[in-house]
Amino acid sequence: MAMVNPYYPIPIKIKKIIPETPTITTFILDGKPMQFEAGQFMELTVPGIGEAPFTPSSSPYADDLEFTIMKVGRVTSSLFSCKEGDTVGVRGPFGKPYPLDKFRGKEIYIVGGGVGFAPLRSLFLALLHNIKDYKKLYIRYGARTPEDIVYRRLLPEWENTKGVDIVLTVDVGNNSWKGNVGVVTVILDDIPVDVAKSPAIVCGPPIMLKFVTQRLIEAGFNHDSIYLSMESNMSCGIGKCNHCRIGEYYVCKDGPVLTWDEIKHIEEPFV
Amino acid sequence: MKIYLLPSDNLFDFVLKLAEDGSVFYPKLEDRATHLVRFDKDKKFEPDFTHIRTAETVKHILFPSRDVVATFPKDEKRKGEKQFLLGVKACDLRGVEVYDRVFLKTDPVDPFYRLKRENTLIISADCPEPDDYCFCNLVGLHPYGETVCDINITEVSNGFVFEPVSPQGEKLVQAHAKLFEEASADDLKEREKLRREAQKTLGKVNEKEFSKDLPDRVESSDRRTMHKARENCVECYGCLHCCPTCYCFLLSDFKKAKTVERVRTWDACYYPAYARVGGGANPRSNLDERFWNRFNCKFNYFHKYEGIYACAGCGRCYRGCSGKIDIREILWQW
Ligand SMILES: Cc1cc2nc3c(=O)[nH]c(=O)nc-3n(C[C@H](O)[C@H](O)[C@H](O)COP(=O)(O)OP(=O)(O)OC[C@H]3O[C@@H](n4cnc5c(N)ncnc54)[C@H](O)[C@@H]3O)c2cc1C
Ligand code: SF4
Ligand code: SF4
Ligand code: FES
Repeated sequence: MAMVNPYYPIPIKIKKIIPETPTITTFILDGKPMQFEAGQFMELTVPGIGEAPFTPSSSPYADDLEFTIMKVGRVTSSLFSCKEGDTVGVRGPFGKPYPLDKFRGKEIYIVGGGVGFAPLRSLFLALLHNIKDYKKLYIRYGARTPEDIVYRRLLPEWENTKGVDIVLTVDVGNNSWKGNVGVVTVILDDIPVDVAKSPAIVCGPPIMLKFVTQRLIEAGFNHDSIYLSMESNMSCGIGKCNHCRIGEYYVCKDGPVLTWDEIKHIEEPFV
Repeated sequence: MKIYLLPSDNLFDFVLKLAEDGSVFYPKLEDRATHLVRFDKDKKFEPDFTHIRTAETVKHILFPSRDVVATFPKDEKRKGEKQFLLGVKACDLRGVEVYDRVFLKTDPVDPFYRLKRENTLIISADCPEPDDYCFCNLVGLHPYGETVCDINITEVSNGFVFEPVSPQGEKLVQAHAKLFEEASADDLKEREKLRREAQKTLGKVNEKEFSKDLPDRVESSDRRTMHKARENCVECYGCLHCCPTCYCFLLSDFKKAKTVERVRTWDACYYPAYARVGGGANPRSNLDERFWNRFNCKFNYFHKYEGIYACAGCGRCYRGCSGKIDIREILWQW
């Protein structure tokens, strides 16, 4: 029997590169070699350098795969020196998607920080695709400075979409910034959703996850309705190599999104 | 299934027959330890089934320390080669059992392990003389093969008692039926006696059982208490590389002339950078935490999901430890 090799990355060309912020760039690939659902991630290979896990930032319904990536180290730096037309590799999708069926008919409270907006964008677009199925979509997003806000090119359209409510904040403002200033929790003081019935979905740096989770618990969200994107070291992506372990979970297989209820017994779950 | 006897004089012929179909690996005494060596019909064949498990684990054969698992941009097909593992001890069978569950039980299965595993026939052997490092009895094993293997053999005065465990094992005996007899009541009696004695030895070496609720105790333990347990650790991580149940690995890519090879190598959770994430944050930067994680991995998480410990009680990690850290002493405290 022919067997699929789960370690083999499918070659694919970079179609377009869109810088979003000084450190974050969106890479649009030429096509979509595999289907995925919002919340699942993939391993992206830079040939000869290595691979790293990223969640697509494009809609699962879109024709081209997109990733929005922050430059932090070895693999991401090599990716940033790639040009349009270069070949990379993808394998996946891995992990569990967001349980969209559970979100149906509800207000959905999405909180993001920094490059954490990337996976959330895919979720957001998937929800928008069937917007009538949901009561209302809330997005709360924080970045370091106004220049660090990702998808500024797309925000005006999203802000004007019926059923969508977006609030932004920056840690440090500048002269032209008229919006909120302060870490993301400053825009979570007043939560306009029915917390007992709504899911809250969070993605961002670990320190942000920690404080946002605290705030959401305080506000009264159910522990099993707080969905957290967990950061962890990954290698195989398929629940074999053991690298991604957090407590009893393989983040690559049981996650990458886990609920607060699932991880609250773990000492310091956020790196 | 029926139980057979291979008269001592027929062992070489039997192995010779196996070698016609594939590689045969068997335990050989060199200096003071048995080693897993490849059978060569032109060299002296002196297997040792008396001493404990070989220094090398069978993981070298089923899950090599370095293996090319993909080539880019075009992948290459791999072919399996038939092989026979002769004289594997019960503890190393636990290792295979752990790998079977990790690599084969959940989708996607690992095609490289599967190819090797499907082409491997395992003939395990009794351990008549467990030594002071052995504690298979504490992790739910007997010192002879009962599952995972295809056949288990016991060396008795008349030869080798062959007990097929899998249909493939039975088929193998049938294929060479001329070499075998039916085991007699005396052969089996002798086997029972040897087994009783081996178990008595194990009972003496390890008088205390592990706590019945070991998994919960490990989980609720304070990771800071690991500091004392690992005080003598010199951070060589040999304990993990010699372990037959450790399955951590890492994928790395290497540029060749026209292709890129994705290589899988064994990894070990004690390495400081093992869990480090992009940008540098590290959830287990402290060795105490990494120690704690290893014990949870083997005695809590794996047990929770699979109902067995990811430890074989083989004692290799203690035997090879420069700091003489006896894993049992740590486990007995819980
Ligand atoms: C499920 C998931 C989804 C993610 N989605 C996104 C996303 O959408 N966008 C985004 O920007 N980020 C995302 N990330 C984070 C992203 O995966 C990391 O930023 C990325 O792995 C960094 O890789 P790097 O090589 O550039 O960083 P580095 O800091 O250089 O390395 C990252 C890891 O690789 C190890 N490493 C480095 N060099 C070597 C080597 N030579 N050999 C072996 N190991 C080495 C390091 O120890 C470290 O653990 C996601 C992470 C996860 C787990
Ligand atoms: S641990 Fe048990 S099975 Fe392994 S060598 Fe020792 S006695 Fe034999
Ligand atoms: S932890 Fe030690 S005793 Fe247990 S299987 Fe590994 S090497 Fe053997
Ligand atoms: S990344 Fe290998 S087990 Fe999760």
